[in-house]
Amino acid sequence: MIENITFTYKDGLLSPGDITVYALSTCGHCKRALKFLDDNSVKYKFVYVDLLPSEEKNNIKDYLAKKSNMYVAFPFLVIDDTTFFTGFIEEEWRRLLKME
Amino acid sequence: MMKTKTLQDTLQFAQMVAGKHGWVLHPDKEFLDILVEGLTTNYNRYGYFSCPCRDADGIREKDKDIICPCEYCAPDIQEYGSCYCGLYNDPLFIKNGGYPESIPERRQFKNFI
Repeated sequence: MIENITFTYKDGLLSPGDITVYALSTCGHCKRALKFLDDNSVKYKFVYVDLLPSEEKNNIKDYLAKKSNMYVAFPFLVIDDTTFFTGFIEEEWRRLLKME
Repeated sequence: MMKTKTLQDTLQFAQMVAGKHGWVLHPDKEFLDILVEGLTTNYNRYGYFSCPCRDADGIREKDKDIICPCEYCAPDIQEYGSCYCGLYNDPLFIKNGGYPESIPERRQFKNFI
C-alpha cells in the first residue's frame, strides 16, 4: 500500500469492491472513465497523478507496476488491490465492475 | 520567458497536423475539447506538446517519442484507426462509425527493451 495519497472520494449506490482509478488530468480517456463511473453511480476514489510532485507520482507508478506486473498507463483501474486494468474500454469496465 | 499557448493555438496546431497527414480530429467535440485543453496544459507545463494521455517525464529528451504527433501515431492509426489519445484518426474509420477507444500502449515495448 502507498501511504498518504490524497485521493478524491466519490460516493455512489454501486460498490462492487474497493475501486481506485489513477488518472491524468489532461487525458480524454481518463475523463471519460471517471464520467462513466459517475453516470453509473459507482463508489470509487481517484487521483490525478500528473498533479502530484514527481517523486510521489513515480512512487505510485513503481508500486502499481510491481503489484500488477503491468506497464502502467492511464486510466489505471484497480479493484480490491488485486485486479488491474489499463485504459478505458467501457465493455471491459462493465465486466470487471460486475455491471452486466 | 516561455511563450504560452492558448486553446486556439493548440487547436490550430492539431488541425495543421491532421491536414498534413490526411487524418481527422476526434469527432466528439466534448472529447476533442478535453484533448486540446490537455495538450495546451502540457505545452504550458513542459514547453512542448506532450501527449495528453501519457505521463510525461518533463524532460524533453525523455519525452521526445510522445511529443504530438507522437512516434506511435501513424502505426496506431494504421492498426487501430486512431492514435493513442484519440486526437488523430483515420477518416475512413470515423466515416464508418468508429469511435476512438483506449488502445494498447505501443510505447511499453520500446521502454521494456
